Amino acid sequence: MVSFWEVLDRAINTGPMLEPNEFDMLIFRKTSELAKEHDIRYDPNTPVPSDDSLADDLFEAGLKLYLETGTYCINSHRQIKFSEEEIKDALKDVPSKILIGEGAEAKWLERRDIEDRKEPLNLGGVIESNPQEGEIFVKLYQSIAQEKVVDGIYFGPSPTVEGRAWRAGSPLEVHAGRCAASWVREALRRVGRPGLHLITACPSAAADIATCDPGNGIRISDAIAIPTTTELKTDYDSLAKVAFSLDYGCYRNPYWLPMIGGYAGGPEGAAIAGVAGAFHSALVCQTRISGFNNAGAILIEPKGVQTDRRVIWVTSLMWQALSRNTNMIGGMGVTTAAGPGTEMMFLENAATAIAIVVSGGHITHGIRKAVLARPNQGSGLEPKFQGEVAKAAAGLKRADANEMIKALLAKYEDRLAKAPEGRSFEELYDLKTLTPKKDYLEIFYKMKKELGELGLSIE
Amino acid sequence: MQKDQILESLAKAVLEYDKERAVEGAKKALELGLNPIEALEKGLARGIREVGEKFARMEIFLPHVVMAAEAMQAAANVLLETLPKEEADKLSAGTIVIGTVKGDIHDIGKSLVKTMLSAAGFRVVDLGVDVPIFEFIRKAKESKADIIAMSALMTTTIAEQRDLIEELKRRGEREKFKVLVGGGAVTEDWAREIGADGYGSDMKKAVEEAERLIRGG
Repeated sequence: MVSFWEVLDRAINTGPMLEPNEFDMLIFRKTSELAKEHDIRYDPNTPVPSDDSLADDLFEAGLKLYLETGTYCINSHRQIKFSEEEIKDALKDVPSKILIGEGAEAKWLERRDIEDRKEPLNLGGVIESNPQEGEIFVKLYQSIAQEKVVDGIYFGPSPTVEGRAWRAGSPLEVHAGRCAASWVREALRRVGRPGLHLITACPSAAADIATCDPGNGIRISDAIAIPTTTELKTDYDSLAKVAFSLDYGCYRNPYWLPMIGGYAGGPEGAAIAGVAGAFHSALVCQTRISGFNNAGAILIEPKGVQTDRRVIWVTSLMWQALSRNTNMIGGMGVTTAAGPGTEMMFLENAATAIAIVVSGGHITHGIRKAVLARPNQGSGLEPKFQGEVAKAAAGLKRADANEMIKALLAKYEDRLAKAPEGRSFEELYDLKTLTPKKDYLEIFYKMKKELGELGLSIE
Repeated sequence: MQKDQILESLAKAVLEYDKERAVEGAKKALELGLNPIEALEKGLARGIREVGEKFARMEIFLPHVVMAAEAMQAAANVLLETLPKEEADKLSAGTIVIGTVKGDIHDIGKSLVKTMLSAAGFRVVDLGVDVPIFEFIRKAKESKADIIAMSALMTTTIAEQRDLIEELKRRGEREKFKVLVGGGAVTEDWAREIGADGYGSDMKKAVEEAERLIRGG
């Protein structure tokens, strides 16, 4: 077994050195070759493919890619490479279920099969919705935590703390991280769910480590999010988060999002890089010991959007490949083009949630708008809808999901580049009663009805 | 070989990301007495424009654009070597120092803009990622840059862009360089607030803004 200390030694001292652009072009060369070799082809007509052999071919291609590239460490300019035996050995260790949260909120987060009837968990909330600091932050997260369909919450710090903008890696970020964790804990207490699972996501290791506090912060039943720079790159901050979490005992939540049109090439290459990310997760981020994953793809343009047909194909196929060939637990969050309070955001939300669930995933990072137009662009109603759709989609056949998603895509995909901005929490909710305003609820029910007409009945 | 055939082969070499063929084509053009400026503009530049259009339609991907820009650059160097330095300098659209700001290690957006700027005829000095403001200024002076371009993906790093502008003011050097900002976290409002000269919301807009700034717009 390759220990984490050996992984760090390869990252810091012994891995082969490479210029960053050489690594990028190596990714491109290999993904192009492997897509041809394994005949992996994107088909716009099947955003959710039902071809098991395609998923298995993708898995093989991802493994071959990772054997060539390993993970690139940005600080040391070294490749952290592994042998096939080391990779397969790590995959055997990956646990198929973990217990997250505490007390009445403790839940088993398990690997899911393709078309699994077992309901997925809904971990997430509103990702980074640009929340303002203080009481409004607490109320925003309270609006999420009060929804029973929410099984955990991903959060990051507000952009300011003590009225001051913080910068990544600065001492103010450390304080911002600790404040955010305590505000989310306060939100959980106010709704009577103090044990709900949390995922912290500060940019620097120092701040994420500072959020760890068994009383008022991240507990050992919670997780630290660990970013992967596109494609297959890590850095000392991410590695420090892994090192600390192994000692503290909380879960690791690696995430990686291959970019369609970037160094992995088109959807086929992004899917191959997506599978390779799972080996990075098991070995470099040590989910072989414990943890779960968030993985999908993103677009170059419109910036960061994850609801496009190609992204759905990549996410669906890579999770099918991982579900069929590993014990990896995970799924994806959704970054939409449209903002909260719009019909389009609900449509985007539903299409991706259905795709993730039928492909063997959970909702792992909630939902948010890709480019935030103003502060507080999120509320409890978006994760509520996401969770309800995800749970209703459990047991759907891939072919049926495919038709449903195509019908949803037809309603929004031509508007992705010019999506509506949406509204803020204060505009969407009555802050005194913490309930959605009438016009927002009407949209919510209208969109549930539309999904019902497409064949997805939501309780 | 006819002039038209040479120009066509130069464009094609760029379109097919073939550095060797692009360099050979440039040498051939000189051997046959073609005007290097014409070979550059009607051959290589035509090829790279088409590459940019194909990328915008997502028919090709970032690595293709990088390879095409490398092919164009190598061939352009062969052509420009034959010209007196002053004349070659005139042909450059301008010099830009580019990088991702300190605290931010995101590379792709910046690399994309860098490549498209090179393809548009700018001389680009790439400082990489996690670049301190003093390094931007030092390199801009060293390379006699016209523009300093900064990318920031995270809301927690965009303040570096303001710091650079303020530092230029403090030194009394604000007028020496145009400042172009972009990246995932950057908005037009932010660019206006900090007093940047240009804002590139995407790679195409970044190139258009750089061209506007050089024209003095």
